[in-house]
Amino acid sequence: MNLLNFRRFAIVLTLVWLGLFVLVPHVLVLLTSVMSPDAQHLAVWPLTLNSWERLFEPVYAEVFWRSLWLSTLTTVICLVLGYPFAYIVAKLPNVWRGVLLFLMIVPFWTNSLIRTYAIKLILGNKGLVNAALLGTGVVDEPLQLLYTPFAVVFGLVYVLLPFMVLPLVSSFDKLDSTLLEAAQDLGASFWARFRLIIVPLTMPGIIAGSLMVFLPAMGMFYVADLLGGAKNLLLGNIIKNQFLVVRDWPFGAAFSVALIVIMAGLLWLYFLANRRINRQGGLDDESL
Amino acid sequence: MIKLPALLAAVLMAMSTALHAEEKLVVYNWAEYIPESTVADFEKETGIKVEYSTYENNEVMYSKIKLQKGKGYDIVVPSAYLVSKMRQEGLLQKIDKTKLTNLKNLSPDLLDKPYDPGNGYSLPYLWGSTGIGVNSKEIDPSTITSWADLWDEKWQGKLLLTDDVREVFHMALKKNGFSTNSTNPDEVKVAYEDLQKLMPNVLVFNADAPREPFMAGDVNLGMIWSGEVIMAQADNPDIHYVFPKEGAGFWVDSFVIPVGAENVESAHKFIDYMLRPEVGQKVVEELGYSTPNAAAKALLSEELQNNPVIFPSAEIMKTAEFQNDIGDAMKLYDGYWEKLKTGE
Amino acid sequence: MKAFKWSFIIAIFAYLYLPIGILVINSFNASKYGYEWKGFTFEWYAKLWENEALTQAFLNSLLVASLAATAATLIGTLMALALHRYRFPLKATASSLLFIVMMSPDIVLAITFLVIFIALGIQLGFWSLLIAHITFCLPFVVITVYAQLKGFDKYLLEAAQDLGASESRIFRLIILPLVFPAIVAGWLLSFTLSLDDVIISSFVTGPSFEILPIRVFSMVKVGVSPEVNVLATLLLAISLFLVTLSTLLLRRKH
Repeated sequence: MNLLNFRRFAIVLTLVWLGLFVLVPHVLVLLTSVMSPDAQHLAVWPLTLNSWERLFEPVYAEVFWRSLWLSTLTTVICLVLGYPFAYIVAKLPNVWRGVLLFLMIVPFWTNSLIRTYAIKLILGNKGLVNAALLGTGVVDEPLQLLYTPFAVVFGLVYVLLPFMVLPLVSSFDKLDSTLLEAAQDLGASFWARFRLIIVPLTMPGIIAGSLMVFLPAMGMFYVADLLGGAKNLLLGNIIKNQFLVVRDWPFGAAFSVALIVIMAGLLWLYFLANRRINRQGGLDDESL
Repeated sequence: MIKLPALLAAVLMAMSTALHAEEKLVVYNWAEYIPESTVADFEKETGIKVEYSTYENNEVMYSKIKLQKGKGYDIVVPSAYLVSKMRQEGLLQKIDKTKLTNLKNLSPDLLDKPYDPGNGYSLPYLWGSTGIGVNSKEIDPSTITSWADLWDEKWQGKLLLTDDVREVFHMALKKNGFSTNSTNPDEVKVAYEDLQKLMPNVLVFNADAPREPFMAGDVNLGMIWSGEVIMAQADNPDIHYVFPKEGAGFWVDSFVIPVGAENVESAHKFIDYMLRPEVGQKVVEELGYSTPNAAAKALLSEELQNNPVIFPSAEIMKTAEFQNDIGDAMKLYDGYWEKLKTGE
Repeated sequence: MKAFKWSFIIAIFAYLYLPIGILVINSFNASKYGYEWKGFTFEWYAKLWENEALTQAFLNSLLVASLAATAATLIGTLMALALHRYRFPLKATASSLLFIVMMSPDIVLAITFLVIFIALGIQLGFWSLLIAHITFCLPFVVITVYAQLKGFDKYLLEAAQDLGASESRIFRLIILPLVFPAIVAGWLLSFTLSLDDVIISSFVTGPSFEILPIRVFSMVKVGVSPEVNVLATLLLAISLFLVTLSTLLLRRKH
């Protein structure tokens, strides 16, 4: 195979695949969101902004807020747990580091849905947590943990924590330890070193990790279905419902596009942040 | 290097043609809703390879069938209201009754219903009811007699409802004396407003088997399916079933053949097999739902035949109202349903 | 400080492995529901052996994961190469698209896949599932390989080019061996993501090809059967075996 062919093959493959399975579908979803719903054909002409108007009805605005709030909470908890964890792991000798990171992704092999079922056995009235609390006499009555927003956040953190940790570890890997030593020699306290050196230098990892937790969290309908209570908590539930149950595709598509818009806004912030600390974003981001 | 994708493609092609080579049958159903051994026995006897594909609820099933214009599946098991909808939309094909030798086993009670007059397109597989489940260890079952009892303020944050719009509305419609198949917007609105009052009592809309939270001790009161109670009682006899006096919800799941089915012959063989008395007997014994198969019922133990949860009394059956297709009114229900679950 | 470090690590892993531990224990629990311990049994292992449909779904999951990972690795490596070495129109768009795929919530990707498959008239099933899985794994492969490509000496490639090596030869003899670790990492990550996926699969799968999460999610009428715990246990055993094996091999190498 000569130069031209190999090169052309790689380029054409890249463009065709991404065009056909990423660009065109996104455009189609955008288009669907401004079409009219139809029981027989899913979406038909004429174009209308109806679905978009409905998006702003208080019922749905409420779901938006609830979803954003739960996702934010999940992200913050993942960050608080994941940051020190990533720091410790990144500083370990290579062999240990590899093993721990691997152990981090092993649970994924057991499908996340199956693991979510197991969480029910942890949080239930007769579950492990309540058994421990009752056994130690902390509470007299079992706490209602399952079927609450708490359970949803517990499940989301559980499923998404590795997505926070992995970018952070690679970000810590690039942290130049001589900088920290120099600062220490110059008398900077741990807090000063943390605030002025460690955090700014690992910022790309923090942002990348946060995005990879925050965005998927809004869509995890099965976590809310199994662990959540009487209320629709996540955008994912609404979107799935519109596409597979109510079959109002334009409305479901409008929700998806709204989610894409939120994503685009956050990505834009991410690029700005990356530029500010003088790094490239996107595929060139070293922390990913 | 470039050869590899081609090779891969070739392997995949070979695989998919291999799959096509033998006689097969694609069944689309709730997971484990036909006993595993029954499927295996059918395969052994006929040499037909059964591919058992699953869905989580009627709506998802309908969406997938609709999206593919009835192609890809040979046997589907929708509930009655969807049989009527799918039949009217031309998604089903006629069942050729001359190919069925076991048709006579079916009890006439559940045949020729409004959702499919003359049973041209569907034959009942199992039926059951949706009533109230009570854990007698925590709550005295004799104090719960009606749907209205669930509205009592003392159950705040305690109830389990099934995650099914028609069943939840059934409860409120019946409580207010309306039909479960009401298409009258005023009646539906009344039911919705009543459900709003119920919401503070609701702990969870259950998306998996409703007996599990009962057995795990997470709920002690709420909606449950009859078969679930039978299955639960095997492990935990404290779980009781109450037929609410306003009327439990009744549903039938039927075999249908989608219009685009490729293995029509096998599909008929399968239906006929499932209609055999001893097969029907086994299904009831394993799943705890009720069979429309009179011959199968006769084979059941005295105890099961007389179990009022599986086979309710004639008195209850006289007033039993089965779910039907409600056409465009469904949109109305869906709208209220969404509001309800968002907390309005 | 050191004790604190390790206890923190152990606490995190306890959190991650607690649900899995429960699955493992319940796979040997005579109680069908696993709310309490009712004695040790192998019954569910025997039952799984007979449960052909469930094992089929499980094998299908593994099949899709390995095919998707392999295809994503092949395509992703070529993409990384194209993005790194060549200039072509729409290159910036291509890399943004990859970035979008990586960041998009699964639910959005699921919708876009469903819409395109319906628009193209592709039957939902094996192929739609495979294409969707390949696509959402791609960016992870591209990023890993791309980072590796950036790391090595471009003069090496130029020298090879000057000596008249064809592009595919350069790829085979120089680039491939150099980025091989990244390719392996990319494959593994893709395999993992594909096996873990629930959301995208539940939208794009169809008749005649069912994978494990869909099957488990559909056990609504009868409840999740204990055989699922057995599958989880087996998967855990396999993956831990592989981790141990690869660690030992790495040790020996060093």
